[in-house]
Amino acid sequence: MDVFAELKKILVELLDLEDREITPETLLIQDLGAESIDLLELAVTINSRFRITVKDDEIFLTRFRLYSTEAQQQGKDTVHYIGGKYPFLGEERIAEIMAHIKEGPQLKIKDLISYVTYWSQGV
Amino acid sequence: MSLHFSGNRALILGGTCELALTLAHSMIESDLFPLLTYRDDKGLNAIREALRPFHEKYETCYLNFGDRDSLDSIFTQIGDDLNFLVDFAQGNYESLIAGADEDRVYSYFMENISFRAEILKRVGRAMLKKRKGRLVFISSAAAARPNPGQGFYAAAKLASEALYRNMGLELGERGVTTVVLRPGYIEAGRGRIYLQKQDWNILEMVPIKRAITGEEIAQTILFLLSDSAAGINATEISMDGGLTSGK
Repeated sequence: MDVFAELKKILVELLDLEDREITPETLLIQDLGAESIDLLELAVTINSRFRITVKDDEIFLTRFRLYSTEAQQQGKDTVHYIGGKYPFLGEERIAEIMAHIKEGPQLKIKDLISYVTYWSQGV
Repeated sequence: MSLHFSGNRALILGGTCELALTLAHSMIESDLFPLLTYRDDKGLNAIREALRPFHEKYETCYLNFGDRDSLDSIFTQIGDDLNFLVDFAQGNYESLIAGADEDRVYSYFMENISFRAEILKRVGRAMLKKRKGRLVFISSAAAARPNPGQGFYAAAKLASEALYRNMGLELGERGVTTVVLRPGYIEAGRGRIYLQKQDWNILEMVPIKRAITGEEIAQTILFLLSDSAAGINATEISMDGGLTSGK
């Protein structure tokens, strides 16, 4: 299954985005204006379409900042520490999020693709 | 008045109590399909006995509050095909606050609040997929006016009411709505036993001078589940004959 194409279809449907361009780099919250109720519905739909268990806190990187602070407080390598919490994100992507985190929520479509792909493989 | 319902599958938590069985009876007569939960063989037999004439018009499922595996098995059994939830489930723990057993307090709140929150999460997500669902929580007049010894019961009811109320606030725009019903003195189940102990004299305090019947509660719940009541969301309704309005 083409995960990106399916996710795009779901987002167009849920957020009523007929004419918007959606790429893997699109930011869910800042670009598409997704609110918490939209994210909840998205989690439920991903669970049902891809038949994977979805943990909302994980797929939406809800605790990213908290984990970053925890790593710093404990003197640990931040990227490695967050990688342990979000195993579906590569280290390169974690570093990228860290670099832009002050600009607001960094959740992108490609993070959803990573989550779905990772858990679809039955890891 | 004829009632119209959006959907027909109704999960009834605490499905073995007298009120739940009265409701199940009325539901079947209204072409709804109740799924009643039980936690032991005694309860299962009570359901089978009460609904004997309605073979194949209802289902039973095992659910033990606090046992998360039993919650998983319910959703394996019924899937996500759920339109209504009516929640009668409530453990009873009577004790003065200053005389309470700590372990029982922790387990009581875990079973009656935390576990209920998990049920609501699962049911809410199932209903969200359809963008339609109605939940009714059966609370108690004791939530607002507890007697001495009912502190834990009232606390659990109030906390559960808050969970249901918020669910209606959060998911209302997606078609999932909630309402809390607070019955007063009831002539059914635990309520009847209490009234018998009090020799029925306590009903003198109730403005309508009588207890509420199980049938009245069942009919009210049916109305609350119907499309006619869809505008009643995220709120509490007292059905206590006026008991808690005066002093």
